[in-house]
Amino acid sequence: MTNLITRFAALGDPTRFAIVERLLASGELSAGDLQDVSNISAPAISRHLKVLREAGLIRQRVEAQRRIYSIEAEAIRSIGTWTMSRKKFWGASLDRLASALKEE
Amino acid sequence: MAELTINRTFSAPPEKVFAFLSKTEHLLKWWGPEGMTVPEHQLTMEKPGPWMSVMMNSEGQRYKVSGQVTKVEPPHLVGFTWAWHDEEDRRGVESHVTIRLVPASNGGTDFELRHVDLPSDDVAENHVQGWTSSLLKLEEMAST
Repeated sequence: MTNLITRFAALGDPTRFAIVERLLASGELSAGDLQDVSNISAPAISRHLKVLREAGLIRQRVEAQRRIYSIEAEAIRSIGTWTMSRKKFWGASLDRLASALKEE
Repeated sequence: MAELTINRTFSAPPEKVFAFLSKTEHLLKWWGPEGMTVPEHQLTMEKPGPWMSVMMNSEGQRYKVSGQVTKVEPPHLVGFTWAWHDEEDRRGVESHVTIRLVPASNGGTDFELRHVDLPSDDVAENHVQGWTSSLLKLEEMAST
């Protein structure tokens, strides 16, 4: 739960949310490629990237002195796990219960 | 926090539906969305006590949920607590599930499931409010 809260908090900023969306759509991008997600300075983008990295939402690798960012799939899945609560579980399970009852 | 009520009508009588809700071998036939397996479980709702299940999807992603069976009144009612575990096995906010079975006029069963959350984790709740649509979008993008 603590990790999830950190992740939600990190995503609770329009610029960081836009960065995550862009990375989800594009795969890998450098800090420079991400510059145009928001009308802010390069150092500000770096700070946002650091927050996202510390929350475990994105990963960074260095290639020829460029920092390349991509999504940490596990973190996005943990959000998926959280959203698979209640309705999805019960709706899908009860469909199967109805079929199982008919088979016997 | 939200609560969920699902009503269904089954053509089987309450006794049979109750067996499917309470006995391990029957629960395993329907527990979890299609395509999920249940590699670990302590799934029995026949008497009060702990229960748990680990569901796994085709990619090996595991979803653990656990709780206590609190009420068993065959063949009418089962009550249990419910909480998802995170990837480090920490148990999240606890909620309550009650399933009621009422005989239907055609010999079948009117089934009602209520899943009610308890606001026991205010911190999580504050962070969670207003995020649903964004999360759904993220999840959608992550799964394409």
